[in-house]
Amino acid sequence: MGKENTTLGSIHISTKAVATLAYRATLESYGVVGLAPKDLAEGLAHTITNVPTRGVSVSFDGERLDIDIHVIIEYGTRITSVAHSVANTVRFRVEKALGMPIHHVNVHVQGLRVSNPD
Amino acid sequence: MNPDTQARLAQLKAQPIDGQALKKLVEAGLTWLRANQQTVNALNVFPVPDGDTGTNMVLTMQSAYNEIDNLGHRSIGQMAAAVSQGALMGARGNSGVILSQLWRGFARGVQGQEILDGESFVRALGEARDTAYKGVVRPVEGTILTVAKDIATAAEEALKETEDPFEILERILPAADKSVQYTPELLPVLKQAGVVDSGGKGLYYIYEGMLRYMRGEPLDAPVISIQPLSAMKLENTMEAVEPGQDFEVVVDFVPSKPLNLQDFYGDLEKMGTSIQVGEGDGMYRMHIHVPTEKRYEPVDYIMGLGTVTKVAIENLIAQMDEIDRKAEGDKIELTNIEPGQIAVVTVSPGPGISRVFASLGVAAIVEGGQTMNPSTQEILAAFENLPTDKVIILPNNKNIILAAQQAKEVTVKNVRIVPSKNMPQGLAAMMQLNPDGDLEQVAGRMVKALEDVTSGEITIATRSVEIDGVQVEKDQVIGLLNGKLVVSAVSLEEALLALLEKAAAAEHELITLFFGQDLTHNEANRISDLVRERYPAQEIEVQDGGQPHYQFILSVE
Repeated sequence: MGKENTTLGSIHISTKAVATLAYRATLESYGVVGLAPKDLAEGLAHTITNVPTRGVSVSFDGERLDIDIHVIIEYGTRITSVAHSVANTVRFRVEKALGMPIHHVNVHVQGLRVSNPD
Repeated sequence: MNPDTQARLAQLKAQPIDGQALKKLVEAGLTWLRANQQTVNALNVFPVPDGDTGTNMVLTMQSAYNEIDNLGHRSIGQMAAAVSQGALMGARGNSGVILSQLWRGFARGVQGQEILDGESFVRALGEARDTAYKGVVRPVEGTILTVAKDIATAAEEALKETEDPFEILERILPAADKSVQYTPELLPVLKQAGVVDSGGKGLYYIYEGMLRYMRGEPLDAPVISIQPLSAMKLENTMEAVEPGQDFEVVVDFVPSKPLNLQDFYGDLEKMGTSIQVGEGDGMYRMHIHVPTEKRYEPVDYIMGLGTVTKVAIENLIAQMDEIDRKAEGDKIELTNIEPGQIAVVTVSPGPGISRVFASLGVAAIVEGGQTMNPSTQEILAAFENLPTDKVIILPNNKNIILAAQQAKEVTVKNVRIVPSKNMPQGLAAMMQLNPDGDLEQVAGRMVKALEDVTSGEITIATRSVEIDGVQVEKDQVIGLLNGKLVVSAVSLEEALLALLEKAAAAEHELITLFFGQDLTHNEANRISDLVRERYPAQEIEVQDGGQPHYQFILSVE
């Protein structure tokens, strides 16, 4: 995805780079126990390649940057709060690193992990 | 420990900790956390929207308490389960979610128990830690998680020596405090900001509240507001100088033994007012206003408590005058002009804009603008005493051009007027300044530069009118482009975006926004974020212009 034209030339940032930033920010968010592949096909592909950007998709239409994150959340946490804080953390960390605004951060809760059934 | 406290403790210890006792403890933790909510909020490092850690934790605890408020007799296991449920339902923000997980683990630890004994208390704290850690893939140390872990470890240690839950609580509190103080060592971002972790501190307050309840100490309001050193805003205390409190004394010290804050505060209150105490890295800073005859008393008093590292005593009356002078704008550093150089005099409506002009090299600033046109006399006074004959005036407002021309006529100096009609034009002209150049040439270049910049202003309509085909209702937000009314809208952001559209901002490179004194930084940031969103390819600069009446003055280049 292209970006910024400076007097020295232009700067390009790949969606993969953005996805990596988002991935790391997500994993450090409290309540998230993992990222999930968006669908089965991608899941298989990723099981083989094991790319760190699994579960994160980034789209840039030339103007607006959107990030979709597919997460698995710990059972027993308040899901809306966790999702909110994922969205906030990702937006903050990516915008800080990238220096450009993100249009939307969409958090998709793909599943819950039950580690301690109460 | 005074006899009352001892009697109370003995009474509490005689009774088993059942569900009702836990309810009292939860209430105490909540009350004390709420009393210290602002202190916790002040510890935030990131400017993230959900950064109100203290508030989030209070809301989470409040929800937990609401769940048990009306419960009658219950076992500790049942009561803890209800607390956990309430905390889960009301968890707000990151720290709130972690807090609810701690309660969830705690509840699991005391499941099926009738009362809380030492062993089950320690087990519950351990479960709390484990449950909290399970909720994240990459636990970040130096946060509330670390504090919960250190608390559990301290509890395990304490259990080796005592079976009494109250005594265990007594012992984990210092460990919790130590853990909180150590968080900056684990998390660099905390160290940079000079604060401890807010969530960890909040957790500490919950336990401290429980302990205070046991000791019968007051919970409703913090008797003393202890704060991180970086959060101490001593300038603000100046506004509240009371008669007779003529000296400000600030003492930095390291206490030789743990400070009893209440006694400390009580003793200080006998000496003066505006007491503030800050803490960081084991060091304390005390701030107080005292009458002249008592100016040495706080120092002597603190000498008895530990090692005094620094003392500052200032005469408040003299300091007040200093602050008044600063407020008059003395801070802005103007360029010194040497004989023979060109001096630029500019009219500026606000301190922020003055500062920008000063940084570009103006020699004198006259305050004024739309509704406060400076007089010929004021403009004249601004440059009469400059050690040069060559002067350029930037009026920055079409209503001031005339006054500038009159000033030119009455002075013997060689004056050129560059008729800038607004602030962005003035700034664009300043870019052309060469103080050692030929006056005629420089002024000519400046006049030319006026046309290169597109400038806009956003303000509120003072009456209903129709101009140039734009219908405006009173109190609507209007946008002017190069002095012409082009848009009207109901909201600031709408007007601003429409104005940028009219200015063909998408075809330019740089958008500079100067926000006025009526807007807060937050509001300005929010709106400029919208601009950034709309114009991702343009560079957006946001400056605190501090001008009255105009919410925004902007330039597009």
